[in-house]
Amino acid sequence: MSANSWLATGNFFTTYKQEQRTFLTSLDRTFFTFFLVLLFGWPLVFELSNKYMLVVDNVLIAIVAVMGLNLVTGFAGLISIGHAAFVGIGAYTIASFCRTIGESHMIITHFWPVLIVVSGLVGAAFGAIVGLPALRLKHLYLAIATLSFQMIFEWTIQFMTFFNQGQTIYVGRVFWLTGKVGRKDHYLFWYFIILTIVILLGFGIRNLLKTRYGRSLMAVRDNDRAADAMGMNPGLTKVYAFALAGFFAGVAGALHAYVYRGVGFESFTLHESVGYLAMAIVGGLGTLNGSFWGPVAIKFLDLQVETLAETAGQYLPSSMNLATALKPFTFGLVIVLFLMFEPRGIANWWRIIKSYTKLWPFRY
Amino acid sequence: MSYFFQIVISGIVVGSIYALAALGLVLVYKSSRVANFAHGQIIAAGAFITYYLTVSLGVPIFFSFIASMIITFFLAMSVERIFLRRLIGEPIISVIMVTIGLGSILDGLIYLTPFGSENFSFPNFLPQAPLALGGVSISWTQLVGIIITFILIGGLSWFFKKSTIGISMRAVSDDQFGSMSVGISVPKVFGLAWALAGLTAAAAGCIIGNITGLNFDTLHAFGIIVFPVIILGGLDSILGAVVAGIIIGLIQQFSSGYLDGNWGLSGTGEVMPYIILVVVLFFKPHGLFGIHEIERV
Repeated sequence: MSANSWLATGNFFTTYKQEQRTFLTSLDRTFFTFFLVLLFGWPLVFELSNKYMLVVDNVLIAIVAVMGLNLVTGFAGLISIGHAAFVGIGAYTIASFCRTIGESHMIITHFWPVLIVVSGLVGAAFGAIVGLPALRLKHLYLAIATLSFQMIFEWTIQFMTFFNQGQTIYVGRVFWLTGKVGRKDHYLFWYFIILTIVILLGFGIRNLLKTRYGRSLMAVRDNDRAADAMGMNPGLTKVYAFALAGFFAGVAGALHAYVYRGVGFESFTLHESVGYLAMAIVGGLGTLNGSFWGPVAIKFLDLQVETLAETAGQYLPSSMNLATALKPFTFGLVIVLFLMFEPRGIANWWRIIKSYTKLWPFRY
Repeated sequence: MSYFFQIVISGIVVGSIYALAALGLVLVYKSSRVANFAHGQIIAAGAFITYYLTVSLGVPIFFSFIASMIITFFLAMSVERIFLRRLIGEPIISVIMVTIGLGSILDGLIYLTPFGSENFSFPNFLPQAPLALGGVSISWTQLVGIIITFILIGGLSWFFKKSTIGISMRAVSDDQFGSMSVGISVPKVFGLAWALAGLTAAAAGCIIGNITGLNFDTLHAFGIIVFPVIILGGLDSILGAVVAGIIIGLIQQFSSGYLDGNWGLSGTGEVMPYIILVVVLFFKPHGLFGIHEIERV
């Protein structure tokens, strides 16, 4: 290896350990640290109104959920059309605590980190149960099994009085070391918390994918018979992939419940499930950084479409109801265009940009 | 006892519509192994086109029924030509997501029209008084709906059994490379399968619209409820779609007839098909008439 890592031309790994480092060069690490400082620092410099801070929180929650979906759909190749239901399981775990012990009980307001993990575990348990058909089934059958889980979930929530029949169940304000988190700081506080969780989970996935448990997911995706022949258990691996996705979704759901300070049925419909899938695909299936790009892109698009519909709505007759029409239209168009022209998603653009800047000013 | 038979009748009515709606999905899946998640939107589009032709342009309903079937025939064919032809050989997730995206685009287009938000109902063209058969009554629209459904299903089965194009479609679903080597144009068959699916979807949409009235949410919910039907029937069997459609229709009507109101239950008709679906997936995943796929490394 060249003595100067700045002038290195190619990979000179001599051990597997070197190849498995998270940051290949010190420059990578510096950039990443700088980026993290920026992410944590900007809210202290710019004051964002609560409305936009909620959007940012929302994007981060979607990132947590999509990381899970990317594990099961991108890395393990199992299509899940019921991811919003898993997110809902997480949120309704918090909600059922609120219903049984009261929304402002000590456990909910003070021990929320524990509850977030508990919701994740409940989500994982449900994920494993829904994943059970994966022991026998593949592809479309499995997709439809998750679809039916979504429908059963929606019905159960709307039917049971324990869950307020889908009406909002309130969640109390949480406490931090400095006391109760007030209305003004609520979204900012959760921004920092969710950002920390995203970073932890991101590193978690990054490291998981280097272990046998992560590699087995990809082996099963590429050819489960071959994986079987190599000594993995494809059925169990699939169930485990669903459980992992359920864990991420459960955590996202719990965060959703705390940020919105309430759980309502309409955030966990089939439509949302399709939205998560779209985020995963636009971001790039089977890539870790795709899970970050996708939610950002789709939520940003949503925001833009909303403002566009508002401005255009002033010049058009109200009978056109442009606002309801434009959202599904652009959403569908983005999915179709990405799948037709860039099936590897935004993560692929990122890869191209990265290799371009690395080599600049040379072509190769 | 007449309550029981009344439920049987309405179950068969609903079930035969499910069968007709599921037929389109089965046709597409059989030929090209694509699950079409935009089927509900095509059903809705067919119903709305018929309504527009009948009410706004004053075309007799029979001709507008035929015309809407022809329009959706070409609509579905062009959808296949423009979007899905490029995705042949792509992973299944891409194909599923493209159909979901297409459904979303069609959603947007339908929301632009008044049909997206308002309710309409077809003008009455059949006698209003229901037909009474020994204590059990069936309305004329339901009866005509069932008859049209079975004519269409019968016609399609004849088409697949006897006509050259139908036989070539069956050949493609059996073995794509084999049928290519005997001179069948596989992409054309895919297009035709989509077109036929569009045709049956429009017919289903018209019948649903005549029985329940035109509401976009109800109509496009049919695109999801047919999945339990095709799974129970075994994804690629036309006979399976018909049998499973009627079974699911009966189960739905029986559960909402006997379970709702007892033990505090409500809306069981909506969830029952999915519970059946889960049970089927656990114990008989390839459905009643499905074929087991054999995979090699």
